[in-house]
Amino acid sequence: MARFLTPRILGRALPVVACGVLFLVPMLTDDRYLFKVLTFVGLNVIVIAGLALLFGFAGQISLGHAAFVGIGAYTCGYLTAARGVPWIVAVIAGTVLAGVGGFLLAIPSLRLKGHYLAMATLGFNEIMSVLFVELRPVTGGNDGLRGIPFASIGAWKIDTPAGNYLLVWGVAVVVLLLTANIIRTRPGRAMRALHGSELGALASGVDTGRLKTEVFALSAGIAGLAGALYASSVGFISPSTFSLEFSVLLIAMVVIGGAGSLAGPVAACALLTLLPYADALIPGLSKELIALIQDWEADISGFVMILVLLFAPGGLAALGRRLGGTSARGAGGVQ
Amino acid sequence: MSLLSVRGISKRFGGLTAVDDVSFEVFEGTIKALIGPNGAGKSTLFNLLTGFERPDAGSVSFGGTALGGKRPHEVVRVGLARTFQNTQLFEEMTGAENVLVGMHPTMRTGFMAGALRLPSTRAEERDARERVGHLLRLVGADQYADTPAADVPHGVRRLLEIARALATSPRLLLLDEPAAGLNNAETRTLATCLRRIRDDGITILVVEHDMGLVMDVSEEIVVLDRGRKIAEGPPLLIQKDAAVIEAYLGEEAVYA
Repeated sequence: MARFLTPRILGRALPVVACGVLFLVPMLTDDRYLFKVLTFVGLNVIVIAGLALLFGFAGQISLGHAAFVGIGAYTCGYLTAARGVPWIVAVIAGTVLAGVGGFLLAIPSLRLKGHYLAMATLGFNEIMSVLFVELRPVTGGNDGLRGIPFASIGAWKIDTPAGNYLLVWGVAVVVLLLTANIIRTRPGRAMRALHGSELGALASGVDTGRLKTEVFALSAGIAGLAGALYASSVGFISPSTFSLEFSVLLIAMVVIGGAGSLAGPVAACALLTLLPYADALIPGLSKELIALIQDWEADISGFVMILVLLFAPGGLAALGRRLGGTSARGAGGVQ
Repeated sequence: MSLLSVRGISKRFGGLTAVDDVSFEVFEGTIKALIGPNGAGKSTLFNLLTGFERPDAGSVSFGGTALGGKRPHEVVRVGLARTFQNTQLFEEMTGAENVLVGMHPTMRTGFMAGALRLPSTRAEERDARERVGHLLRLVGADQYADTPAADVPHGVRRLLEIARALATSPRLLLLDEPAAGLNNAETRTLATCLRRIRDDGITILVVEHDMGLVMDVSEEIVVLDRGRKIAEGPPLLIQKDAAVIEAYLGEEAVYA
């Protein structure tokens, strides 16, 4: 039996099994809190798929991704709550607007690398944080935007926690599939080449400037999509959600998960998102322990990130490969 | 017929003139070598030809079209591919993947088609991988197809870079010190490989310090010293050229 469990087969089977479990959850439970928590995981997984492309594969850092999530959330929230725009149109608008934001940010940032790109995107997040507060007529200021309607297509309304859970995870699975395909084909190879050696990529005929703007726009658009889904599934958004702190947490997820991997960051994303809600999954945890974890959440993720950088630079992905006994470092794809 | 023609090209860095009014031609189907002591301006000249640096004066024309102002990735698409003195491989990617990146300009799959893995994408991938296998065999690096570049021996790294450059389907291949760090056996393999590439109809311009290799494979040699062209001609004449001997002996006298 055991000889059938080669890493290759495991690598193919695990995502399928994970999907199966994900979509079985609504049949096993009707715990609203659990659905809410797992929906947050799904939303973050969508953002992480895009950020893994940008940071993990193309090697371009962004400390502004929370702002793109915010652009998607406010666009969708405002259009559906205040303008009565159909949900699907509002979601597309949020995605596109965030993508355009990423494109516009990428153009002046093309000359920047490493720390300087980090600073520029960090500045962008701060600017957007101010705008989310100050653009009161659209964003509702510090009080946030209330009464955002649930997702609906025509007369069909997705207004249950289980429905939203399935919607978000359905989108997450599609995004992950499309992302994994990109990684395996020409644009993904160009991204990994850019990460490996920009000179080498240029000498291979890759228009690195154009590639950077494309990946930035795509990654920001995916973050906007997650934001739009967040707005309609939670019904209320406020500026503090899309702060720099969230951007840093997202980067921590990719670092802990491992650069050049999709599965690693997704796993790290699930772990770090679930951390403050550990009581939803593990019954019987004391209230004091949960409160302690929630108070120290940022410190824990920061500490883990430092540990990973020092002792396991390849992150969870590298650990997984070591356990699986393969050295398929360059195999790309869904590792 | 002249494939590459360089006319009066110059490049200054601050007060230093790295390349000073250099002109020469590279004829189609030949191997031409560019030699000179350290700091003669060979690598700068390569950067000028491939768009990594902008010349301050002069012009480069390739197959009749001017290359002035073209950026590196555009130069590749016109048909000039290069390798680097310090290999610029993608360390985390396998040998085959490194060469596949070289197929980038001739492939079409964009983000949309790649994400959906359309039938056209799959067919293109298959064809590209087949050609990569052929190129790896051509340079003799096929046993490293699935090895991450970081784990490939030094000599093979140079061959991988040549295969990656060939993958862009160039008419002119520019090699920057391909024999640097190679042992004698590896250098001989390289010489065979260069002749095979030339026989496939690809013109080669090579910067090289290994005189054995230069005299062995090249039909014509250009000698640079302190940015200027001091000699040009077939290997036998260059070996006897007084100015060339002076330039090299002078260097040895300084560095001995």
